[in-house]
Amino acid sequence: MKTIFQPFGKISKQAFIIMIVMQVMFALVFWHTTSNGLIPQPAKVAKAFFHLLSTRLLLDNILVSLALTVQAMLYSIVITLAFAYLSVIPFFKSIAQFLVKCRYLTLTGLIFIFTLLTKDGSQLKLSLLVFGIVPFFVTSFLSVILNIDKQEYELCKTLGYNNWQTLYEVIIVGKADAVFEILRQNFAISWLMITLVEGLNMSEGGIGTLLIKYNKYNDLTNVLALQLVIFLIGLLFDFLLGTTRQWLFPHTKIAIGGTK
Amino acid sequence: MTTHTKEEIILKAENVHLEYDNKTILRNINFSIKNIVRPGMEQGQVVSLIGRSGIGKTQLFKLLSGLQQPTSGHIHIQNDQPVRAGDMGVIFQNYYLFEWRTIHQSLMLAAKQNPALKGHETDAIKKSAADFELTDHLQKYPQQLSGGQRQRASIIQQLLKGSDFLLLDEPFSGLDACVLDKVVELLLQVSISDELKTLVIVSHDIATAIAISDTVFILGKEKDLPGATIKKEIDLIARDLAWQKNIKREKAFLETVEEIKNCL
Repeated sequence: MKTIFQPFGKISKQAFIIMIVMQVMFALVFWHTTSNGLIPQPAKVAKAFFHLLSTRLLLDNILVSLALTVQAMLYSIVITLAFAYLSVIPFFKSIAQFLVKCRYLTLTGLIFIFTLLTKDGSQLKLSLLVFGIVPFFVTSFLSVILNIDKQEYELCKTLGYNNWQTLYEVIIVGKADAVFEILRQNFAISWLMITLVEGLNMSEGGIGTLLIKYNKYNDLTNVLALQLVIFLIGLLFDFLLGTTRQWLFPHTKIAIGGTK
Repeated sequence: MTTHTKEEIILKAENVHLEYDNKTILRNINFSIKNIVRPGMEQGQVVSLIGRSGIGKTQLFKLLSGLQQPTSGHIHIQNDQPVRAGDMGVIFQNYYLFEWRTIHQSLMLAAKQNPALKGHETDAIKKSAADFELTDHLQKYPQQLSGGQRQRASIIQQLLKGSDFLLLDEPFSGLDACVLDKVVELLLQVSISDELKTLVIVSHDIATAIAISDTVFILGKEKDLPGATIKKEIDLIARDLAWQKNIKREKAFLETVEEIKNCL
């Protein structure tokens, strides 16, 4: 018992699970007892959550959002990899660094420009999402490149590799697993932005649209139920990307497990 | 003294000087390694560079490997060519290997760099792995190997690349007595695999380095002068201390160890 409050205290997996269950239960009891008329109680949210799950409406909107997110993630990763790989060439380094700084631009201020540049609402949503995601992806991947152990380059040199072969071995092949990790870590960002961009073109639907509609009618029970859905989908993707990474790059699993 | 002759120069460092932020690290480094010929056998060269910790051994190691350029001076290898990265086989202190490649893949990358192995890479890997007792570990990742296994994999990788020179940075560091004997045996095995095979061992372990070397260069500082330089060259063949097993018990060996300690 004492261990769970000690710095670097070690507890068994079973004890950890029991602790989490108790914490969740405590949070639910706290929520239940403190919520007033405006904030719906957990049981009510749970009921709405299961009702949402049984409706075609939720499935359709999830599919719309997922399709847009996956599409945006794919475009973003292609753009990110191109600029990150090229960033080791001095001519492209400044462009990659500029992309990193684009994190500080707000999407709202660029909506009109993107509206002029795109053909329809669907393209507008995709472009805004890609523009929103790419700077975060590039930032993460450049950080991976900057932190590459010098010995990785030196080993390539001792093997007689030229600079292009070194780029291929150390960055493209050697850091392929990091691409998945970046995807996993930054999926949350794209999932966060989806609700923003879907509000721009509501005719196509999506979870963001659904959330805006519920918010508009102050249907807080369904808003919270939908938040729960969004949260669980996020966790599912986090798990899927993590598992795929370990499957594709077995050495990452060894590093985590420390198998000898 | 064992019958031998010293033939052509195969590595030469001339007036090598290294500075960092106007601070002299290495000064006026001059030495050469000659091809040693022993009748009736393939005898490579084993040279040790001995010096105290922090004296600049690793810097000299990097200059010799071509990974770093000296501020002034030259290092030449066979045919009077300036040394370039890739000319030497390099074994780093922590036996670095690509963590994302299996041992077989890492060895294949090296073998493919060797034109002499073209078309026979897989056979060469199998043979080397068998010689170095790594056959059962070829499909493993470096993280799954012990320190000794990593070191052997690292040595095979650089040997498959086909360089005559093998530079080893502190190869005896952190090894227990049993593993140490195996490593010494392994290095001696490599040294007699080819007439021109040359091992340059950078170490602060005086006794082990002397026990397997034919020549020792002592890197140290001279009074009132900045940076480290080669203070002394000891020809162990002339002292009848080279190529002998159980040499560590000999009086001359113990005297040489003391002599080097006093010189550091």
